[in-house]
Amino acid sequence: MTTRLETPKEIESSSVTQTALSLRNVSKKYKHFELKKINFEVASGTVMGLIGPNGAGKSTTMRILMGLVNPNQGEVSVLGQAISSCQAAAKGQIGYFSDEMRLYKGEAIGWHIQFVRSICPTWDESYAKELLERFGLIEAQIIKGLSHGQRVKAMLLLILARKPKLLILDEPTNGLDPVAKHEVLAELMRVVEDEDRTILYSSHNTQDVEQISDDITFIDRGQVIASDNRDEFLMRWKRIRLHISEGWEVPKIPGLRLESSFRNLRILSSNRFYDAMPSQIQATGAVIEAIEPMTLEEIFVSSVVRGREEGKE
Amino acid sequence: MNTQAIGILFLKDLFLSRKPLFAYFVGGICSSGLACVPNETVAFTGSILSITVAIGAGMHLIGGLLLGETIEQTRIFVMSLPISLMEYSIAKIAVVLTTYLIPWSAMLACSMILHYILPESKQGTVAIIPVIFLYLLGAFTIQLVTAVLTESIGWTIFMVVCCNVLLNVFLKKLYSFSAIIEAAESDVLIWPPLVQQILLIELLIIVSAIAIAITFQARKRDLI
Repeated sequence: MTTRLETPKEIESSSVTQTALSLRNVSKKYKHFELKKINFEVASGTVMGLIGPNGAGKSTTMRILMGLVNPNQGEVSVLGQAISSCQAAAKGQIGYFSDEMRLYKGEAIGWHIQFVRSICPTWDESYAKELLERFGLIEAQIIKGLSHGQRVKAMLLLILARKPKLLILDEPTNGLDPVAKHEVLAELMRVVEDEDRTILYSSHNTQDVEQISDDITFIDRGQVIASDNRDEFLMRWKRIRLHISEGWEVPKIPGLRLESSFRNLRILSSNRFYDAMPSQIQATGAVIEAIEPMTLEEIFVSSVVRGREEGKE
Repeated sequence: MNTQAIGILFLKDLFLSRKPLFAYFVGGICSSGLACVPNETVAFTGSILSITVAIGAGMHLIGGLLLGETIEQTRIFVMSLPISLMEYSIAKIAVVLTTYLIPWSAMLACSMILHYILPESKQGTVAIIPVIFLYLLGAFTIQLVTAVLTESIGWTIFMVVCCNVLLNVFLKKLYSFSAIIEAAESDVLIWPPLVQQILLIELLIIVSAIAIAITFQARKRDLI
């Protein structure tokens, strides 16, 4: 687990921190999917986790950030440059990983290293060798003979050895076995130790994101539904277990929602818990059995469900 | 424009297509040689083989180098590197054209030289050979434009079929001109004005198709 750097408010107030990337009112329309007015930014030296279910718009957002897909509207800025006008220069400092990305299957890892090194002047040869050893890869290995985990590690090697200032990682741990996942996350944590480097990390696996992220953004159905500091999320969200008597109704407290009910038991969740909330609930006649912290996964699921309900309304 | 990056991308694709390139180069020279053998059956077989090699090379190179990167998802990897879409497009179209031009030039040169030096051949045929080969190159560039515009194997194959059908129409029309027949049957090499005009039109089509391909490739908004 990494030490958290700063909260977003601290980042805003700090004169030295800068925005590594920002999306302002970014929209992209496809035949059966629409990314709707995405707004978020990531401060330099932080790790932002982008969590969303499959088809939420995580990959599209990341492709827009890389200039691989052009938005219909909105502004995209990466490392202080508009990606639309300085694509090549900006990409020189960005390492992008996508689950859909493939290497040339007939060629060796060493051939790929040589190719990337010839294009990227920032290539760090000794770090590449270190990563080869750490990931258990051999330069002469042909891509088509590699397992999925080895392919992911080979791609990460090609990205990390370029020493990019910004890493945009689209589901890098998808489909990895626990050992390969541990190796990949451990390497990312080493990268995080360098405070100048920023990571935008997407996944639908909340545990992976929770391990390395400072800030978290939830995205669903092409919309950002919540974005905050990880610890703030964990502090604000609480699950409240109640015993109620007949005729009891959920009090109208902002952010309080009924999650489930069984006989005279109710489970509520709050996305903006505060100290006076328990006494307000008890004043309605309910008996609080427990107030529990929620995991990031539970917060994510609840956020998605709330977002979808609000969408229907 | 980063010419170094364009060069690296060009060499990368040239390296990746080395095996089919070598096969088409050797196949092209062999078939062109057969087309000059003074035996009607062998010469006919050689001619058909030459055209087949030219068409096969075109399909293989467009499919492998241009559409292949989309299908195999290697384009995302390449485009994640610090290169612009324009640099990628120029390198890609340059390498597709170069890899086609290598066997194409070898076949053209081989056919022209053999028809010129072999005592059994009529030297006049030498003027007609570039007309047919430029048709094949023109057809290839049109297929290239189709692949760039549609990024679809289906549409590209459809265009290949259309160009092949039109080749028969083109050859029939070509040999309906008395100036062409006279030139082809002449014992000495002559370049009638009609041949020059056809060559010029073919070159214009080729240049226009290449310009269209580069323009449309570089103006694409979405790469995935």
